[in-house]
Amino acid sequence: MTVALVVACVAPWSGRAAAADLEEIRRRGELIWAADQEGGGPHVFPDPADPARLTGFEVELAGLIAKRLGVRPRFQQGPWDRLPLLLGRSADCVMNGMELTAVRQRDYACSRPYFAYALQIVSHREGPLASPEQLLRAGPRGAWRVGVLTGSAAEIEMRSRDPEAVAVSGFDGTLDSLEQVRAGVLDAAVLDDCIVTFYAERFPELRMVGRSFAGGFYTVLTARDTPQLSAAIDAALGTLVADGTLEALYDRWHLAGRQQVLLVRDATEVPPAPVRGLAELLAGTLPLLLRSAAMTVLLAVASFPLAIAIGLVVAVGRQYGPGWLDRLAGCYVELLRGTPLLLQLYAIFFLLPRVGLPLPPVAAAILGLALNYSAYESEIYRAGLKAVPVGQFEAALSLGMSRWQALCHVILPQAVRIVMPPVTSDFIALFKDTSVCSAVTVMELTKRYSVLALGTGAIVELAAVTALLYLAMSWPLALLVRRFERRWESSGTGPGR
Amino acid sequence: MIVVESLCADRCGTRVLADVSLAVAAGEVAVLVGPSGGGKSTLLRCLSGLEAFVSGTVAIAEHRLTPGPQPADRLERIRRDVGMVFQQFHLFPHLTAIGNVALAPRVVRGLPAEEARDRARSLLERVGLARFADAWPATLSGGQQQRVAIARALAMEPRVLLFDEPTSALDPTMAGEVLEVVAELARGGQTMVIVTHDHAFARRAATQVIEIVAGRVARRGSPGELL
Ligand SMILES: Nc1ncnc2c1ncn2[C@@H]1O[C@H](COP(=O)(O)OP(=O)(O)OP(=O)(O)O)[C@@H](O)[C@H]1O
Ligand SMILES: [Mg+2]
Repeated sequence: MTVALVVACVAPWSGRAAAADLEEIRRRGELIWAADQEGGGPHVFPDPADPARLTGFEVELAGLIAKRLGVRPRFQQGPWDRLPLLLGRSADCVMNGMELTAVRQRDYACSRPYFAYALQIVSHREGPLASPEQLLRAGPRGAWRVGVLTGSAAEIEMRSRDPEAVAVSGFDGTLDSLEQVRAGVLDAAVLDDCIVTFYAERFPELRMVGRSFAGGFYTVLTARDTPQLSAAIDAALGTLVADGTLEALYDRWHLAGRQQVLLVRDATEVPPAPVRGLAELLAGTLPLLLRSAAMTVLLAVASFPLAIAIGLVVAVGRQYGPGWLDRLAGCYVELLRGTPLLLQLYAIFFLLPRVGLPLPPVAAAILGLALNYSAYESEIYRAGLKAVPVGQFEAALSLGMSRWQALCHVILPQAVRIVMPPVTSDFIALFKDTSVCSAVTVMELTKRYSVLALGTGAIVELAAVTALLYLAMSWPLALLVRRFERRWESSGTGPGR
Repeated sequence: MIVVESLCADRCGTRVLADVSLAVAAGEVAVLVGPSGGGKSTLLRCLSGLEAFVSGTVAIAEHRLTPGPQPADRLERIRRDVGMVFQQFHLFPHLTAIGNVALAPRVVRGLPAEEARDRARSLLERVGLARFADAWPATLSGGQQQRVAIARALAMEPRVLLFDEPTSALDPTMAGEVLEVVAELARGGQTMVIVTHDHAFARRAATQVIEIVAGRVARRGSPGELL
């Protein structure tokens, strides 16, 4: 999100100047190509024998193209659905299973296709899905639960279907959806056929459903203002096809070399999408963005009270409980603070099904956020409890109150006022952290942005709209809390007596 | 009302009370005097169970305290009958004056909120603060705060009231207001143990003066004899 915003700000000035055309690439001696190694095989992935080294048919193809251009290839890692944003900045071209679409034709220079893909449905051997046609209507247990790679043609294809028939979950990693099919959480996954073939051995429990369908082409993307580079890449692909190099490469990767080379044609067969105005863009996207904003609010509003409740129990346990409880709770806090939220979400969503505890995505997201933030809340509360003078506790006890009564009626009400400001800023932080939940397939605001940006090509405009939506939600909250604080101050009961 | 026998108490490994014995009858006002660090506060804290002691016995308001940690429910019962007023007042800052006074009867005794407030109001009247019932502690003067603290302790109708230097944090005028309230309580027959450096007050109100030096009872007698 931040990246997109920064780009939105600097784009009008820096965009033109930075794009390196062929001459500069030759002078530099390096062709920088961008891809996402998380996308996996057979495209670009860490070599199992030597994970420090990248391999994949696109890695080899990048080497061949660079060689034709008379330079060395240099790999640039980037998030798959944002790769085109790197053009003219940190990359000369993008080559990573980028489907040739009308929107990309409009916004970038697309090379002649270098690969033909088709979509393949995969289900569990014992699953109820028998034919692709079944995905057009709801299944025996309601909508079919189908996993796809975020931003892929498969995602666009599946999301265009009747939501009553297909409930789509988007994943950031290629294998995630296959894992979920294996665990029985999803009914099916839809992926590019070459990926399915490549990982078939790793998932013996899965089977292909019907033949592949709805195919298309991969293209190399370059910036619109580097015509010489675009032409040189086209020419290089042309010679690689003509002299049989490409066919040999695909054969080596078991990608049906002959068929591939026959299919690879001219890019101009896909006409560019029409340029649309801002009003038209917003009319089409704003309702969807608003609906996902509601999901973001739900995640935050459901998880934060839970985080506070858990955090409070942990803090009170540490402050007033026995030593072993303090140490145990200390481990809990350090574990949750010391590991990334994303990893915790993965653990909850992907590992719990393995021990027979499958959670629906939204529940997993809420639980993950609540657990993660409970660690921070407990530390804040502990500081708040410590900040209440011991005299208060003794005064309460000497009135005959039990420790518990003293805590509830004397200590906590004061601690709450002390911790109000840091807790609010944590809520705003959590609000924004909900964007991580897309990793467990929850369609919240940031995720919706990614999908829409990809579908419309309006990466920068939609980023600005999305950022505004986040602001519109967190700003009133900050104002509200400031009013609370002022009220407490004016009544003389604020923390700083 | 209070009988202490051979009380020994440690703090951080050093003996701060050694073989302290004393007796306070119902309706008496005992004043504890002595040099700083002598152990007066520790003695009061032992009497109300805020501090554990090493050996000896304490009998107070028909309860008994034994050496070592005491069960929570016994401490709670004792403290309902033994009130405490601190040098630093320790009013609850998140509650108004009347809220401070009404809290314990409501929470500990289970009194209905309305009744607790009515009684709190009349207690505030008794300490001369009827007008300040809805004031926040932070807006009150030190003397007023200490009087609210006394009303708060009285709200539990304690059989014994312990005061630890109730006027040391106050200037003479405010101290006067507070001592007036304490003297009034004494006239009403309230059993009290008061730590104070104010000898004039001790002469006026005390029935018994106990001097504690270096953790021991150095002298004991009537105010006329000792002061
Ligand atoms: N929290 C504590 N930790 C360690 N030692 C303490 C603590 N509180 C008091 N003491 C020690 O216990 C002894 C008795 O202290 P106490 O406060 O009971 O004396 P006091 O007679 O009330 O003195 P003062 O007139 O200054 O209030 C002193 O020597 C003091 O240093
Ligand atoms: Mg003292």
